[in-house]
Amino acid sequence: MSRVLSLALLLAATASSPRSAGAQLRVVTSTTDLSNIARQVGGTRIVTRSIGQGYQDPHFIEAKPSFVLELAKADVWAFVGLDLEIGWMPLLIDGARNAKIRPGGAGYVDVSKVIPVIDIPSGNVDRSQGDVHALGNPHYWLDPANGRRIAWLFRDKFTQLDPNGATTYTANAKAFEARLGAAEQAWAADLAAIKGKPVVAWHTSWRYFAEFTGMNIVGFMEPKPGVPPSPAHLAGLIQTMKRTGAKVIVMEPFYDRKTADFVASKTGATVLVLPPSVGGKKGIDDYIDLMKYDISQLAAAVR
Amino acid sequence: MRTLIIAMMVAVHGVQPAAAQRPDSTRADSLARARADSIRIVRELEAMAARGGATQAPRQAGASNPRMLPDISAVGDLIGDLSPKGSTQEDGSRFGVRELELALQAAVDPYFRGDLFLGFSDAEGVHIEQAFLTATALPWRLEARLGRFLTPFGKQNTTHRHDLHTVEHSYVVQRFLGEEGLKNTGVYLARVFSPLGFYQELILTVVDRIGEAPEDLVAEEPANKKLSGLGYSARLRNYWDLSEASNLEISASAMTGRKEQPLTQPVSVDDQVISAALARQTTLGVDLTFRWRPLQQGLYRSFILQGEFMRQLNRDPADLPPPLDLVDYAGPRRDFSGGYLFARYQVSRRTFLGGRYDWVQDPETEGVSLTAGSGLLEFFPSEFSKLVASVERRSLKGFGGTTRFLLQASFAVGPHKPHPF
Repeated sequence: MSRVLSLALLLAATASSPRSAGAQLRVVTSTTDLSNIARQVGGTRIVTRSIGQGYQDPHFIEAKPSFVLELAKADVWAFVGLDLEIGWMPLLIDGARNAKIRPGGAGYVDVSKVIPVIDIPSGNVDRSQGDVHALGNPHYWLDPANGRRIAWLFRDKFTQLDPNGATTYTANAKAFEARLGAAEQAWAADLAAIKGKPVVAWHTSWRYFAEFTGMNIVGFMEPKPGVPPSPAHLAGLIQTMKRTGAKVIVMEPFYDRKTADFVASKTGATVLVLPPSVGGKKGIDDYIDLMKYDISQLAAAVR
Repeated sequence: MRTLIIAMMVAVHGVQPAAAQRPDSTRADSLARARADSIRIVRELEAMAARGGATQAPRQAGASNPRMLPDISAVGDLIGDLSPKGSTQEDGSRFGVRELELALQAAVDPYFRGDLFLGFSDAEGVHIEQAFLTATALPWRLEARLGRFLTPFGKQNTTHRHDLHTVEHSYVVQRFLGEEGLKNTGVYLARVFSPLGFYQELILTVVDRIGEAPEDLVAEEPANKKLSGLGYSARLRNYWDLSEASNLEISASAMTGRKEQPLTQPVSVDDQVISAALARQTTLGVDLTFRWRPLQQGLYRSFILQGEFMRQLNRDPADLPPPLDLVDYAGPRRDFSGGYLFARYQVSRRTFLGGRYDWVQDPETEGVSLTAGSGLLEFFPSEFSKLVASVERRSLKGFGGTTRFLLQASFAVGPHKPHPF
């Protein structure tokens, strides 16, 4: 028995042996935003790939076996957390059979751990409240402050797994931070235009964006998170928009625009389809470009 | 908090009794160093705060599951049978609770995960649906399970009945594997590999026996007395992404074992009443699943096409105890085939339309062809509840047909489970 155990331990140790010098870290992320920030921090020392696409609802990604192969070879699995990926991530993690990226493994990176989370429900939570995230709102990447936190988290994680690249990772993280800081200064006029403006959002995914930009979300198309709009809810929402003067409906590209167009037709509002993630619109291939695009489009709509 | 700790450390450092006994110059140096250190640390903290907190967790909350309770969830599966010529359910009920399933799932330790599924039903009482230990830390992309699990044979059989796209299993699964599918107790070993550039998985099992031991059939010896009498199965999965939105799986399965088959009449052998003979049964299967789901509109549109074909090979008993002869054997003396083709299209976010065609040489009627065509409407109020209406026309060749109207409602409570793929 002890021989068998020793052999198993030896095999496990062999399988989880350190990377060979010079090999790139293989970083797999759940979303394109994490992938893009990881790439900016890791540079050429990593290869990265995202399971989800920017124009796809991250709650409902299919756990395709081809993703299992990606995760089986990964050194790092970085995910948004707060149960955003709960509908598909466990199948991929189990299927990958890769100890490095299982909970407790060095490559298992729950990015939400460095985020000041908002919308944490208080009191009793159950599904009568819709598809509520009991640990808080997971759509935090749409606040640049959290973009910075993600970058420094990746700096630390990549440095831990690849100490030879420490200088590069730190320099890249600082460069990302500097570029983001410069971009924020350029957005000042747009942010001033947005601040306090009443808007309607489809899903709670724009809450962090609202915290950053100051846009005032007066209502959601969804009556409860994840629940499709009902006629009664839309009737109430139309009244709310008329009362508050909300003239913009912000929505993701993966929701049914017809419903938003109907509400817009009753209120004179503009439907603004904004990419919630990198790659959510053709040509938006960078995290800072994503923020810039969303802010500028919203500012133009509310001006 | 850190600042507070540092301030306390500095304060403690400043009042250390030993410091009072040192020369004044040394004590002053020490205090100066302490102040300098504390200022440096505070500056570092300020710098970290300025760059967004870096990797320090801003939340002070503890573990979300401090008592390490397992995930506890339950599924209710309710059935209604409004067939015009009476209920077609085994117990004759028009409305019934087909099954309640209670699941307890958690990591056991860093090496294993435990999954326990208990079933409750009027027909079977309380029973162990599945209970297995999964080794999660094996090398070479291996996964091992020990316990009772759904037999990895074919596509439908690896899905819980309440998670099926249809109200019931296909007839070929019901007739060849069991009304609720087939589950067995034993060892499961699987490996994922991709030498040809696409996903492949080989799953091997060795189980106590194929299917449950029939209560009313007694053989001369247990089916698993010899190692050759155990149940063995193999399944090879092959999966391809055809495009970003579509994919294809073509897989093959095989299973063999000895089963009790009836004799024409019970006989007494060595003071033992024997009503069955042990005969080898081997089942082969291929299955195909095509899925289409556009990524951007995946909430509203999807399509699935699935088919399975199975062949059941029945062998005569190898050695019947004297005075028995093959003329006394009433088990299957021929092979049977069967299959189904199923398609489902998503017409809106919550609504799906589907249909299935079944054909099977029914072993229960010595191979008479059973055919069935069914259509179904599925409505998902949310991810956690499902309402299904199904109409089916079933015919047994030479015996006429039956029309069935079935309703199903299933719901899940507890933690969010992964969506089956």
